[in-house]
Amino acid sequence: MTTTAAPALAATMRDGYKDYGYGEAAVRALDGINVDIARSEFTAIMGPSGSGKSTLLHTLAGLDRLTAGSSTIGDTVITQLSEAQITQVRRDYIGFIFQAFNLIPSLNARENITLPIDIAGGDVDEEWFDEIIGILGLGDRLTHLPAELSGGQQQRVAVARALVSRPDIIFADEPSGNLDSRSGAELLAFMQRAVKEFKQTIVMVTHDPTAASYSDRILFLEDGKIVDEMREPTADRVLDRMKQMGH
Amino acid sequence: MLRLALKSVRHNPKRLILTVVAVALGVSLVTATMTFTSALSRGFTDLFGDIYATVDVVIEEEPAESEDEGFSPTDAAGLFTEEDVAAVQAIDGVEDAAGAVRYEMGALLGLDGEPLRPGPPTLLYNWTGVEGIDRATVIDGRAPEAPGEVAVDIDTYADLEASPGDVVGIATETGVYDLEVVGSVRFGENNELQTAKLMYATDDTVREVAGGITGYSGIEIVAEDGADLDAIVSDAGEVIPEGTRAISAQDKAAEQVEELNEALDIIDIFALVFGLVALFVGAYIIVNTFRIIVTQRTREFGLLRAIGAQGKQIRSTILIEAIVVALVGATVGILLGWGLAVAGGALVEVFSGDILGPLIVPVRALVWSYALGALVTIVAALLPAIHASQISPMEALREAGTSGKKSLGVRNVVGGALALLGIAAVVAGLELKVAGPAYWVGAGAVLIVLGTTLLAAQVLIPLAHGLRGVLAAIGGVNGKLAANNIRREPRRSANSAAALMIGVMLLALVATFTESVKDTFTSQFATNKAELFILAQMGPVPQGAIDVVADTEGVRDVMRYAGIDATVDGTSTTVGMVDAALADAVFDFNVDRPLAEIDGGTFIDPSVVEAGVEVGDEIAFESATGSVTVPVTGLYLNEGDQQYLLDWEQGEQLSDDPFIFQVLIDFDDDVDVDATTQAIEDNLSEDFPLVQVQSPSELEQFFNQVLTILLGVISGLLSAALLIAILGVANTLLLSVTERTREIGLLRAVGVTRKAVWGMITLESVVMALFGTILGIVLGVGLGVALVQALSDFGFERAVVPWVWIGVYTVLSMIAGVVAAIWPAWRASRLDILKAIAADG
Repeated sequence: MTTTAAPALAATMRDGYKDYGYGEAAVRALDGINVDIARSEFTAIMGPSGSGKSTLLHTLAGLDRLTAGSSTIGDTVITQLSEAQITQVRRDYIGFIFQAFNLIPSLNARENITLPIDIAGGDVDEEWFDEIIGILGLGDRLTHLPAELSGGQQQRVAVARALVSRPDIIFADEPSGNLDSRSGAELLAFMQRAVKEFKQTIVMVTHDPTAASYSDRILFLEDGKIVDEMREPTADRVLDRMKQMGH
Repeated sequence: MLRLALKSVRHNPKRLILTVVAVALGVSLVTATMTFTSALSRGFTDLFGDIYATVDVVIEEEPAESEDEGFSPTDAAGLFTEEDVAAVQAIDGVEDAAGAVRYEMGALLGLDGEPLRPGPPTLLYNWTGVEGIDRATVIDGRAPEAPGEVAVDIDTYADLEASPGDVVGIATETGVYDLEVVGSVRFGENNELQTAKLMYATDDTVREVAGGITGYSGIEIVAEDGADLDAIVSDAGEVIPEGTRAISAQDKAAEQVEELNEALDIIDIFALVFGLVALFVGAYIIVNTFRIIVTQRTREFGLLRAIGAQGKQIRSTILIEAIVVALVGATVGILLGWGLAVAGGALVEVFSGDILGPLIVPVRALVWSYALGALVTIVAALLPAIHASQISPMEALREAGTSGKKSLGVRNVVGGALALLGIAAVVAGLELKVAGPAYWVGAGAVLIVLGTTLLAAQVLIPLAHGLRGVLAAIGGVNGKLAANNIRREPRRSANSAAALMIGVMLLALVATFTESVKDTFTSQFATNKAELFILAQMGPVPQGAIDVVADTEGVRDVMRYAGIDATVDGTSTTVGMVDAALADAVFDFNVDRPLAEIDGGTFIDPSVVEAGVEVGDEIAFESATGSVTVPVTGLYLNEGDQQYLLDWEQGEQLSDDPFIFQVLIDFDDDVDVDATTQAIEDNLSEDFPLVQVQSPSELEQFFNQVLTILLGVISGLLSAALLIAILGVANTLLLSVTERTREIGLLRAVGVTRKAVWGMITLESVVMALFGTILGIVLGVGLGVALVQALSDFGFERAVVPWVWIGVYTVLSMIAGVVAAIWPAWRASRLDILKAIAADG
């Protein structure tokens, strides 16, 4: 899954526009976005609700289409691909972690983790699998169904699923949103470690300053535009910046 | 609550569409048939009305008390004499009385000598010259006056392309009579004969054609204006011979309409049975739909309970939804059924001409349709509704999708008990001598179906588990997910499969039965040595034709097989008579010793043996015209044919005119079979154009065709049930796709292609369809074999498993599975991923 001669950027967007609805009722969710996601970096996207942060994540990940502009995953321009081709890109190069309902209820933890590889018809790298499971502390939970796991465990299984195929980039949408603060902190620490130790690229949408402080770089979004960027954030700096935005 | 229910229906019409269609299909069958039979009834009611419009009183043979004395009423010398007619004419108030003589068994031959419009009857009546009694008006030419003259109804006249002076033939049991056409007549006002061919000749001509009777078969009366008909009826009763009666024309017409309606009622009942089967299958869909709806609305119902709604009110909401579905479904079904009846009527008009009255949906069809639709829907929705009423207010607060899995324990126990009870009932019906065996078998079959449905859920779990490997090998992770989905809601999957099971079971049952019948025929024909057969068609095989065949060169023996009505110890029975000396040479009768050893005695069937009669006992036969007492000399082992077999000579002592229904012809050795057959056909065509000889292979082919048509008709009637079952599979999948929106969205997000989602749903569908089909085949063939075994006394040699049909049904069910998956798979593959994964969806 990893490309050898990797380009410096994992994902990009140029002049991205996204409108919902038509004519008078049209709402502009993205208003001329230009963004580069560097490899092996943990990028957070923040903004008040309605700022377009989820739309940015969805269009970057190929779940939704831009109205105008282009975006890339690796060196593939996904904005000109067909639905089937985009699905292939998602399968082969992207991992996902959602806020809730990350797992297929009828598959056990192990089957959920290997799902992307099974879909692609590839072989599981058992060494890598064991390493992830070890780090995430899921070793004794692999045969359990999602309903038999706690919320924190479920999200860790989701992280393991995102990591197992070594995707070029992982998109996470409020991954700790449904967790208590301790489980949330653990989960974010795992994600941070994946970036530091395994050179994984992660883009995360959140509205929680504490969660964002685990990242290397924060993009602030307001009214569909990127209004600021912060490197090496701390929770306090993020909170201050958010207050400036009037929230 | 009513408002809530209606709103719920209005806001979610899609999930109820297939339920409505299921009800509509079942109902349409009932409506279509009832509309059709009522149109048929109306058509013939008009005819009977026309027939008796101008006559006031009819005098005729007293109707037989039992229905099975179906022989021609003209075989006696004639019921009434000229004196009887004169006596009736003398009654006070009678304006005109005329003797009627009628012959309705012949066939009109066209100018080319070929039968004209075979099928509808040829009616030959005497022309009395009394307008009200003849019911016909001369249009062209004149009425018949001299022997050998005939007037033909205007439609037949046109079909014949005859003109006065042409000679047409009328073929009867005794030969062909040539009649000279002298004119055309119009029957009643519009010549509405329901395609029958009506001809008038003089009294003596009709008598001659009818086989040489002397008197009249009826007397018809036109009363004076204002005469008291009741008085005439009772006065006539005084003067007419014993065994005859007088009846007013109005009553007679009503009587005939009633007789017809009784026959049509049987067709209606037949349609109701198949409609019920379809609705029974539909009930499975309705149960599934409402169960899923209740699950989906658990939180809504919990909320309603939390804010103070009573469980009873929740239950009413569901039941009101069910009633709305039933009303809409039944209404659509009635319209659909009416459409079917109109289409069917148009088809009938093409083939059989104008025999139908107006096609109007009768009130009883409306009543039955709404009643059946509502009953089935409400009964089916009852369990889900009760379940909904028990939802606790706590459910509103709980996260969706965490409802606990109920054990299948109760379901299995009840299912097992029902299945065992059903098997016991079937065994009792088939093997033990219980009263009304058909009801036992039928009730048993229904219990087995219900029991199997319940047990199927349990079977599905290990099955789906086992299939996981297979499906994973076929469809990769999709196969695995498909297997999981089937296993996840075993009740729902089992119900869908069981709906299909019922239809397939009935198909397999009929297929097993017809294949076994075919096999019996085939093996009988295989052992038969006769070169040709003649089978009775309209009437018995005429002796004259048999003589013609026997006289043809190359024919060695002609064996006759006839039936007579006789009584033994005062009980009426069926007696067969054969040319016993020839019998063994031409046909392999199922007897314990050669028929040649009958030795002037009688062979008895198993039912007589059961009654305690043994070989050597004396049997005294009585008939209307004679009696004979003979010893029992052997056993005839088939049950259900005739109870007794006699040699021809003894049979003739009971009847000088036995009903010959089968003739077997044996050729000399070393003759050219084709040439001899041709010679027989040529000889017969002269005087007996209606008599057809058939070779065993032709006959076998004919029987097979009849059976294939039977199978086709039953399959056609079951198609509504099968269609509903397939809709059921589609419905279950559709609802489960809705339920699994987020799961499918997740799969799509992590890279499952639309095609793969489609494949997953299709696999689920095919597995469900196959499961139902296999269960249905097992049950249907099982019941079919049991039935054939039970009927072995009636000549069934062995039960045949219809492998070809099993193969066909299996392949068709796989195709049906693929088709059923189209809509749900389309929905699933087109899901909006973003909406599906929305966190608070």
